[in-house]
Amino acid sequence: MNIRFRLNGREVEIEAGADARLLDVLREDLHLTGTKEGCGEGECGACTVLLDGQPVNSCLLLAPQADGCDVVTIEGLAEGAHLHPIQEAFVEEGAVQCGFCTPGFILATYSLLRANPEPTDEEILTALEGNLCRCTGYSRILAAVRLAAARLLAQRPAAPQPVAAAETPEAE
Amino acid sequence: MDYIRVTSEDELATALRRDGAVLLAGGTDLMVKMRGWAIRPSLLVDISRVDSLRRVSTSSDGAVIGSAARVADLLANSTLCVRYPLLAAVLRSLGSVQIRNRATLGGNLANASPAADSALALLAYDARVSLAGGAAERTLPLAEFLQGPRRTALQHGEYLRAIDLPAPRADWIPFFHKVGRRRALTIAIASVAGLLAFRDGDIVDARLAAGSVAPTPLRLHSVEQLVVGRHVDDALVATAAATATRAVAPIADVRATASYRREVAGELVARFLREAGGLAPASL
Repeated sequence: MNIRFRLNGREVEIEAGADARLLDVLREDLHLTGTKEGCGEGECGACTVLLDGQPVNSCLLLAPQADGCDVVTIEGLAEGAHLHPIQEAFVEEGAVQCGFCTPGFILATYSLLRANPEPTDEEILTALEGNLCRCTGYSRILAAVRLAAARLLAQRPAAPQPVAAAETPEAE
Repeated sequence: MDYIRVTSEDELATALRRDGAVLLAGGTDLMVKMRGWAIRPSLLVDISRVDSLRRVSTSSDGAVIGSAARVADLLANSTLCVRYPLLAAVLRSLGSVQIRNRATLGGNLANASPAADSALALLAYDARVSLAGGAAERTLPLAEFLQGPRRTALQHGEYLRAIDLPAPRADWIPFFHKVGRRRALTIAIASVAGLLAFRDGDIVDARLAAGSVAPTPLRLHSVEQLVVGRHVDDALVATAAATATRAVAPIADVRATASYRREVAGELVARFLREAGGLAPASL
């Protein structure tokens, strides 16, 4: 089947079998191996991607179901060599050990903080309940999410910034 | 295997007549079964973008929930969640964020798991389901739709169109508790959901349902009959719990023994009555 979708901001078009999972298409055909397969049954969250902005398990999604959708994988977060603030927070807090679960945790965190910039610990735990870590445990991950939330909040303008007239295209 | 994405119920009804056609909505159960070769469809009919099946409407008469409405969309519907807090409580515990973003209410029912928690809330609200695609559209009580593990009333060519909820009482006290090994993604060892209404200290309306303790999610009618018209005291709690343990018919499996499931079902009923009736929690 011919499938088209937006992947990390770029249009992609591929041929895939009707029974191909999005996870396999991302890893095997598009060579984006940041998305991991853990359990393959939707329990561990290692395969989490954002589909139209919402975290989903790419092991439970057929590639044809992503047709026409917007998909973001862990490769879509950094800007060039600059890690996303959530990625930086995970590194600084030591929330990464083997790293296998990390892409899923970071994308789940990304989705949480966009919807809820100041989550309580309870809200963080609920947002991450679909992700399992089997080595470092969860306290460092929780600390990383708190740090990322604080940094992203500090970056946000306090109020909408007025656009200077000279900067608008109409004024040129 | 073939895949088609239908965009209308007419296309869906046509596609479903093909041999080996299986409906795909959120895929959160179906993909797991396909991976284990428990289901090998020759055609997957993807209904996740049929707008008429995703519609949710609420009115003073009740609510109509399209079968392909996603759990996350239902939880984002504040009118629905305020009017049906027991449904909201159960849906918040379903799967995980990732699962709730794809899973549908119709899928959870059509999957017909004895552990489907959404069915507990819907049974308590006396939900009916409407089935289309057959000779004529028909509606039936959810309790008749759920016939056994992985068995429903759906005939070949039929699909679950919508779930109808009658108007709720404003004074219902909701209760939901699931016992399992992990809060998220757990398949319950046993679960109980219910609604109680009181007048002058007496129970005037009782709806109780239990999951993972019988071939289908089950209304506990014998417990309901026992408690209606009564004031909650320690004696009633004990009798109701004992009645609940006799009303269920659990199996032993990898998650728990049958006798433990009976005990848990009785204990959860006791907790509900104690909480709603204002008694102190039982000391352990």
